[in-house]
Amino acid sequence: MHTPAEGSAARQIVVTGRVQGVGFRPFVYVTAHDLGIQGTVLNGSGKVFIHAEGSPALLDRLEHALVNLAPPLARPELAHSEPAEFEGMKDFSILASDTSSNTTSEAEIHVPPDLYTCDDCVGEMTTPHERRYAYPFINCTQCGPRYTIITAMPYDRPNTSMKDFPLCDECRAEYESPTDRRFHAQPLACPKCGPGLEYVCRSPLAGQWANELRPQEPLLSVIEDLRQGLIIAIKGVGGYHLMCDAANDEAVRTLRERKQRPHKPLAVMFPISGDDGLDSVRDSLEVGEVEARAIADPSRPIVLVRKKASCKLSKLLAPGLNELGAFLPYSPLHHLLLQAFNAPLLATSGNISGEPVITDEEEAENRLGRIADAFLHHNRPIVRPADDPVIRPMAGKARMIRLGRGVAPLERLLPDSLGEPTLAVGGHMKVTVALAWENRVVVSPHIGDLDSPRSIKIFQRVIDDLQNLYDIRATQIICDLHPGYASSHWAQDYCKQKGLALHAVQHHSAHASALAGEHPDVKRWLVFTWDGVGYGSDGSLWGGEALAGSPGAWNRVASFRPFNLAGGDKAGREPWRSAAALMWAEDQEWMPAVKGTELARLAWEKNINVFETSAVGRLFDAAAALVIGRDISSFEGQGPMELEQLTRGEAVLKPMHLPLISDGAGILRTDWAPLLTILGDSSIDPAHRADFFHESMASALLEQALAVRKQYAFDAVGLSGGVFQNRRLCELVVRKLKARDIEIHLHETVPANDGGLSFGQIVEVAALEKIK
Amino acid sequence: MTEDRYISLAHGNGGRYMRELIAEVFARHLSDPDKDNTLDVSLDAAPISLPAEGEPYMSTDGFIVKPLEFPGGDIGSLAIHGTVNDLAVSGARPLYLTLNAFIEEGLEIDTLDRIVQSLATAATACGVQVVAGDTKVLPRGEGGGLYLATTGVGIRPRGCDLGMHRIQAGDRMLVSGPVGDHGIAVMLAREDFEISGDVHSDSASVIGLAETAQRLDGLRFMRDPTRAGLVGVAYEIAQHAAVTIRLKETEIPVRDSVRMVCEMLGYDPYYLACEGRVVAIVSSEQADELLQSWRSLPAGNGAAIIGRIEQGPSRIILETEISGERILDDLEEDPLPRIC
Repeated sequence: MHTPAEGSAARQIVVTGRVQGVGFRPFVYVTAHDLGIQGTVLNGSGKVFIHAEGSPALLDRLEHALVNLAPPLARPELAHSEPAEFEGMKDFSILASDTSSNTTSEAEIHVPPDLYTCDDCVGEMTTPHERRYAYPFINCTQCGPRYTIITAMPYDRPNTSMKDFPLCDECRAEYESPTDRRFHAQPLACPKCGPGLEYVCRSPLAGQWANELRPQEPLLSVIEDLRQGLIIAIKGVGGYHLMCDAANDEAVRTLRERKQRPHKPLAVMFPISGDDGLDSVRDSLEVGEVEARAIADPSRPIVLVRKKASCKLSKLLAPGLNELGAFLPYSPLHHLLLQAFNAPLLATSGNISGEPVITDEEEAENRLGRIADAFLHHNRPIVRPADDPVIRPMAGKARMIRLGRGVAPLERLLPDSLGEPTLAVGGHMKVTVALAWENRVVVSPHIGDLDSPRSIKIFQRVIDDLQNLYDIRATQIICDLHPGYASSHWAQDYCKQKGLALHAVQHHSAHASALAGEHPDVKRWLVFTWDGVGYGSDGSLWGGEALAGSPGAWNRVASFRPFNLAGGDKAGREPWRSAAALMWAEDQEWMPAVKGTELARLAWEKNINVFETSAVGRLFDAAAALVIGRDISSFEGQGPMELEQLTRGEAVLKPMHLPLISDGAGILRTDWAPLLTILGDSSIDPAHRADFFHESMASALLEQALAVRKQYAFDAVGLSGGVFQNRRLCELVVRKLKARDIEIHLHETVPANDGGLSFGQIVEVAALEKIK
Repeated sequence: MTEDRYISLAHGNGGRYMRELIAEVFARHLSDPDKDNTLDVSLDAAPISLPAEGEPYMSTDGFIVKPLEFPGGDIGSLAIHGTVNDLAVSGARPLYLTLNAFIEEGLEIDTLDRIVQSLATAATACGVQVVAGDTKVLPRGEGGGLYLATTGVGIRPRGCDLGMHRIQAGDRMLVSGPVGDHGIAVMLAREDFEISGDVHSDSASVIGLAETAQRLDGLRFMRDPTRAGLVGVAYEIAQHAAVTIRLKETEIPVRDSVRMVCEMLGYDPYYLACEGRVVAIVSSEQADELLQSWRSLPAGNGAAIIGRIEQGPSRIILETEISGERILDDLEEDPLPRIC
């Protein structure tokens, strides 16, 4: 027992929020030192416990500094501050992490996302005399991999995939020095003790492809081979990329042929150059303010940016589209590659279409062997995949299209607390999962489409990992209402096996709730949920639904005239089927330039493998087939994307007023039929027709909103569902609604597409629990 | 026989009409006085003689198909092949059948006659005797024209050990010919598509294929992929043998005409019924041998090695040309589109 010196006191301060893996403890240490405060700092799972001794004024300053001067990546919250017993400490020190159960039980854990290489590390790796000069695994407390290397919490080196790299003396000295910027940097490494590269080329030997190891200066060989136009699978932070010269048509064409991806847009990684690092991007793309901010964001997302007419890159990167996905190097390896190559590199996910990105050497060689000419491996294991996040700027803001590396796990607070830990498993395509407890929700990165064993495997692993990392066991599960989704099947089996409660949430309710969850201040909504196809609560397939109300209490108030679509899942890949469905329903003779469609026509007439839908996504498909002849798409959304990019934003043709009629069930239904005459009139400029279609759909939305408003007073309109990844449509709708003084919200941090479903499912069930 | 051209309820009342129908339609085609163990309509039960060697096997199957006659077959030949094939893939040589016919009032007698004739022809080709039978007449509207049921007896050689219990990781899966023909042919005929002539049902006996395969000691298991098609059989194996089955999309034989119809209608040929194919699981060492011997038979010239058995969860993985992998789900009652 010590008596405090005159004016001295002791406090126990608990800080929560994102404080692990972001250099928070070293920051506390340095700050306390600077202020002349004695005490200790200790990492519990998800919390930092500080015992501080000094004058009350100094202690106040410390508390202020903890929240306001924290490292850029930290998101500290002051959870408790109370007087503590004065112990007369002589200095300030960092204690070993506390893993005892009493600090983990409350699970205030925050798993940090992977962090882009900070300026200090980039500076160091480009300085020739530094010992980490040109070292592709340099990192510090402010940067480096996190989510993709953590095996367990708390975030400490033994709980990461760096555990098998014992620190050398020099690194250990840095790790242990409280004033060093690598103090307790868990993935710390150097050329002596850390991971290394391995370059494997495939060369034909006796008619067989054999690996040829090139150990010397792998990066030099890689650059040389890239210049030769080879395609190289390169292991990064959250998985492999397939890379090649973005200006080399032949290389891009070869990649497309081998990947059997004739049209899907491919992202490009640009070298950093100029004052803000974006000069090289500007050479090719129209970088506005929103785009610039998005590209430079610490999560280093792929940002969809308009191409310049003068863009010198291969036209095959995004054929038929005038946008390109651009991003900057975010790992030291990328920095080295791009610096040396000094020109943009195509960098697309190293995966098989729809699957999670590949993370391991052997699997990469097995599954990408037909695509890549060579493999640049490294031996820092990737514990779980994280694809690059994708952003599209729309209506003045960056909008999340795909959650991924650097962003996820995405943490949000719920407007309504949950009664029990809950897991939501999303939909079937672009799946993410979400784990929620109390008022917290954590959304996984993009996993993929659940058609393949690998997708299912990663899906299961992410579900296990999130629960382990956050030390939360879900006791109820939420899935989509669709009986055929793989995630629904999984959830049924899982619940049966573990005796857990299962809730099914209707697809469009989940979309609407996802949007509402992002904008909790709005109380009464009218959310337009437009997408491809989702299972409706009446057993038919919805996709053009206007839902009024709030989470847990949505009413379907407006929709579109339903139509019969033939061909099952094929309808989603073959826009001509949507065009035909509309034309045939209106007794118009229309046949696409596709062989054998007479048979499809017969099947449509006889109602064989035909389903009824009100999906607006399919109306966009139909318009794409009618206006630009996009009969078959080689990737999801191709028709609508091409149609959108054809628009010029000039309403040469007056938008059409579509009839809005209440059906027998009191749902307002917009009839699409009058659009067909103009859409199918090939004497009209396709661009004018494309503008006409977008304008007419935006007007139809406005008409629905105005009609609903007569019966239901909403505070704001929302837009959710995959159709609202269409920039032209969103901006038209925003303009039209604002002109009528109607408040409108779009998604920002959660995708409008099915990647947002898991979050929406959580919001929906939390609200339902509250209503009960 | 009466002058009536259509079946009436009187054909089922046990009186003269019924006796005439049995004599002039069924017995006429199915009785062969030159043979032992032939159909004798005067008996209530028929004696059969079985070879002393081997174990008797029985199987039964019901047949409902619309239309009753379709390109490549009819319900009559189907009723023979169905039960015969069930015995054959179990390793038994089919010998005797019984036949039940549920006839709907109003069926054209000529149609019935054609079907019974076709049934008799198929039975003769398979070397089986129909030894007993029964007919019932259902009131109009209560049956789909004609339902048939056959029960068969066969003999399986002693020592023949076929079954899912023998399946192990590394084994190969073969199919004896293109899949989906029957399903598409019947569907096209039922829905009155004008192009129905392009696709024929594969309805046929698989006795020859089965006997050939049985000569290999590495043969583990056989099944005819009828309802739910190739995936149905694969799924059953995966479930019961607790294995993963990996199929190669590029190796699974599908006729162009069938593929085209499937593409247009949005069907997956791997889920469509076959009526004359065998799926066999065989040791990897003897897979090529089985392939060659099947291909040397007319019924097996389209045979292919289509996949392999792997350790893993009970599921079917379809490997695509570009190293893609798709899980083939168990057939849903009503598969709905999932693409959003």
